[in-house]
Amino acid sequence: MASSTAPSSQPVSGDQPGDRLSAVPELAVRSQGLDKIFPNGFQALRKVDLAVGKGEVVVIMGPSGSGKSTLIRTFNGLETIQGGHLEVLGYHLDADNNQKVVGKIRRHVGMVFQSFNLFPHLSILENVTLAPVWVQKRDRQTVKKDALALLDHVGIREQAYKYPSQLSGGQQQRVAIARALALSPQLMLFDEPTSALDPEKVKEVLETIRALAAEGMTMVVVTHEVGFAREVADRVVFMDEGMIVEEASPQTFFTDPKEERSQLFLSRIL
Amino acid sequence: MADTPRPGPPPAQLLRRLRRGLFSSHLDTLITVVLAVVCGSGLWSLLHWALLQADWAVVQDNIRLYFNGNFPVSQIWRSWSWLGLLGVLCILTLMPSRLLPPAMVRLLPLFWVLILPIGLLLLAAGLGFEPVKSRFWGGLQLSLLLTLGTILMALPLGVLLALARRSSLPLLRWLTTGYIELMRGMPLIAVLFFGQLMIPLFLPEGWTFSRVLRAVLSLGFFMAAYMAEDVRGGLQSIPRTQLEAARSLGLSPLLTVALVELPQALRTALPALANQCVASLQNTSLLAYLGLIELLGISRSILANPDYLGRHLEVYLWLALVYWAVCILMTSLARRVERSLKVSDHH
Amino acid sequence: MAVFTTHHPLINEPDSLSPEDTLVSKRPAWRRKLLPILLQAGIGLLVLGAIALLLSNLQINLLRRGLELSFDWLGRPARFPLSRGLLPYQTEDSYAWAFAVGFANSLQVVVVGLILATMLGVIGGAASFSSNWLLRKLATLYVAVARNVPPLLHLLFWYVAVFLGFPAARGSVDALASWLRLPISVEFMALLIGLTVYTGAYIAEVVRGGINSVPRGQWEAARSLGFGEGRTLRLIILPQALRAILPGLNSQYINLAKNSTLAIAVGYSDIFSIANTTFNQTGRAIEAFVLLLGGFLAVNLLISGVMNLLNRLVLQRG
Ligand SMILES: Nc1ncnc2c1ncn2[C@@H]1O[C@H](COP(=O)(O)OP(=O)(O)O)[C@@H](O)[C@H]1O
Ligand SMILES: [Mg+2]
Repeated sequence: MASSTAPSSQPVSGDQPGDRLSAVPELAVRSQGLDKIFPNGFQALRKVDLAVGKGEVVVIMGPSGSGKSTLIRTFNGLETIQGGHLEVLGYHLDADNNQKVVGKIRRHVGMVFQSFNLFPHLSILENVTLAPVWVQKRDRQTVKKDALALLDHVGIREQAYKYPSQLSGGQQQRVAIARALALSPQLMLFDEPTSALDPEKVKEVLETIRALAAEGMTMVVVTHEVGFAREVADRVVFMDEGMIVEEASPQTFFTDPKEERSQLFLSRIL
Repeated sequence: MADTPRPGPPPAQLLRRLRRGLFSSHLDTLITVVLAVVCGSGLWSLLHWALLQADWAVVQDNIRLYFNGNFPVSQIWRSWSWLGLLGVLCILTLMPSRLLPPAMVRLLPLFWVLILPIGLLLLAAGLGFEPVKSRFWGGLQLSLLLTLGTILMALPLGVLLALARRSSLPLLRWLTTGYIELMRGMPLIAVLFFGQLMIPLFLPEGWTFSRVLRAVLSLGFFMAAYMAEDVRGGLQSIPRTQLEAARSLGLSPLLTVALVELPQALRTALPALANQCVASLQNTSLLAYLGLIELLGISRSILANPDYLGRHLEVYLWLALVYWAVCILMTSLARRVERSLKVSDHH
Repeated sequence: MAVFTTHHPLINEPDSLSPEDTLVSKRPAWRRKLLPILLQAGIGLLVLGAIALLLSNLQINLLRRGLELSFDWLGRPARFPLSRGLLPYQTEDSYAWAFAVGFANSLQVVVVGLILATMLGVIGGAASFSSNWLLRKLATLYVAVARNVPPLLHLLFWYVAVFLGFPAARGSVDALASWLRLPISVEFMALLIGLTVYTGAYIAEVVRGGINSVPRGQWEAARSLGFGEGRTLRLIILPQALRAILPGLNSQYINLAKNSTLAIAVGYSDIFSIANTTFNQTGRAIEAFVLLLGGFLAVNLLISGVMNLLNRLVLQRG
């Protein structure tokens, strides 16, 4: 992944020279003072500063309603931002997202949702080939071959011609991962990918994500799976009330959290 | 109401079932007896009338008129072959799809779209044969032609209207909402009346088109408003997360509508749309009062013939049977489509 | 080994960044908002243009026929006969009065039809849940037959085949009229029965769907409390089903109102037949049409208003 041809982040007019973030090379995500205010006036993100390096795996934790989903949804333009500065894979996002830029970002950023969100009217294979065929305009035959190989890797090749409703939750989530990967993304966003699963299906999905991390995929994962975070994450980010409260290595965060709110949270989930 | 089959010889079981279904209490017995007497006597007098008093010559002698209208007798094979083609298409659609070659199954929707132009060619221009003016078209054949034309016009128009009604452009939204609500607030006969008598007032001198075309246009504009609402209902039933998934994959708004939203919306709306198709057939009967000789219109002219004085009951029962049969056929076609889509959806 | 990435290399190299993308927004927001405005202006002009064109054609056509748009003629005597109705009418009365009579006639058949169709529909819908096999089958048969025959044929059947065909049927209508001391005509009865039977079948379906939406547990709970079938339905199930039934009823009521214009087939003087006759006599197509639309707007609003009120009452209680 180090040889990636993705555009490097360049300092942009308005940035302070010697800024903390732009000093780090090869950033996948760079946000500074991010504010998200919903149309109803609710502020879901307050001055969020976060940098995700290429090849890094960042796990976001925090109580329900703390703004985790909102934050990663700003990364692929599902939510607009109202203040601050956001740069994803070198592209800039601002208050009224330029559709062309958002389109480009989405081609390189995969997203996996809590509720799978497979397309119920399309077969598993069609779910995976849809975007490469229509968005990347690639040849159907090669796309199909690649898609089958991907499905093979996530272990559901046999189900390629079935429909989402015929699969278990764990299988559906692995299809959703394959669907996002089919666009060869440079950044993967996971929003609580295992929260809607039966306990016995959680492992198979985490296994898939772990394999992906082992290849050096850049990932931002919202999850409460502590075991997974310990093993896979390079960094854990703890959010509460729309703010980043603590940022640490998994080792430090799980054994010796600094902030009171982190301690309270961990005491509840551990 | 779970029937737990109890042991016992079949006749005893049957008796028990009969008792439970018909005579479980005094009130139940009373209802059963009264209904049985009323239905029995009704059925008896109907049969008595139908077999002994009715004169079915008014139906038998005019079969050709009911089906083909006043189509020139020398050319009538054209009319029959279109009806035949339509029948074959219905049978093919209703057949279990594993009995058909897959290519055929895939082409069926195309055939259904093509059957209308084929009908027009066969009936009007006659593929190099003698042209037949549309005023000679009539009977069931005209009813079906009008119905097909209406559906093929109203469905795409309805989809466009439904999409426009939730457009981000306020003006477009207001215009389509106004159109849809206006159409749905008006009685059909007023729309047809407008179409047949008033459209000429709005066109430049000398512009005319045939009654049949005017009828299809009015019916189509009318039905489109209803279909638009059904499609809109389908669109609204799609969870927002589907759109987010589509957008996350980089699909443009247009592609999202075409590949993710519409296919799901049309599936959801299918039963409602099927009802509209049946309504389209029933609606064509109104044109009997606007100078078209479709099934009801031709029947009125048959009844005006002094030979068949007072044979209304026979004719109306016959018509009811024909309309009923076609409606049921349309409903089962829709069920078939629904089922074939379901296979790919839920199991 | 990079399992996920080797098998499908990026076909598209990441789009090279054009300077346009990197700058926060080179194109100001107002320019992005300009497109929708232009688009709407275009649509607006197109629609206005089409309307203007049609209206100018209309103007030309009407001038040629010497029929400039006006409502003056409404005061002139109508001179056409009407079937017996609630409001008194003579042929010397004005067109305006004829329209009023037609509107009253329409309202009369719609209101009575709504009540009867609702009764028939509720009975038909509830009957399909009866434990009585015969009753259940009859309800199904009724819906299957009545819905699949065009409403116009319903009317013609009752009018021509029953009331005109059997003098006894006609006599009973006259007897009913003199008993109730109401001006009930054969045409009114034919229209009323035809609309009731047709709409009743649709209402039965709406009611059946509503009852189906009540969880089965409610039936079982009621039965275990010792309620009989009829009382379970009346006291427990129907009140709950009402919430699902009312919106469907609203659209069936409006359908009944619209179908009442089929009165033209049986010679009942409703508002549409007045408009039609007026057009035939005076050539005043546009004016008659506007009056007709106004009448229907009033009827639809009336029905929707009443139904909304009911809906609110039901929601309040539930
Ligand atoms: N579209 C919206 N409009 C208004 N408030 C919203 C919207 N979406 C989310 N929120 C609010 O923003 C806060 C953060 O939501 P979210 O990011 O989904 O939390 P998390 O994923 O951490 O549970 C919550 O309080 C939620 O109610
Ligand atoms: Mg969340």
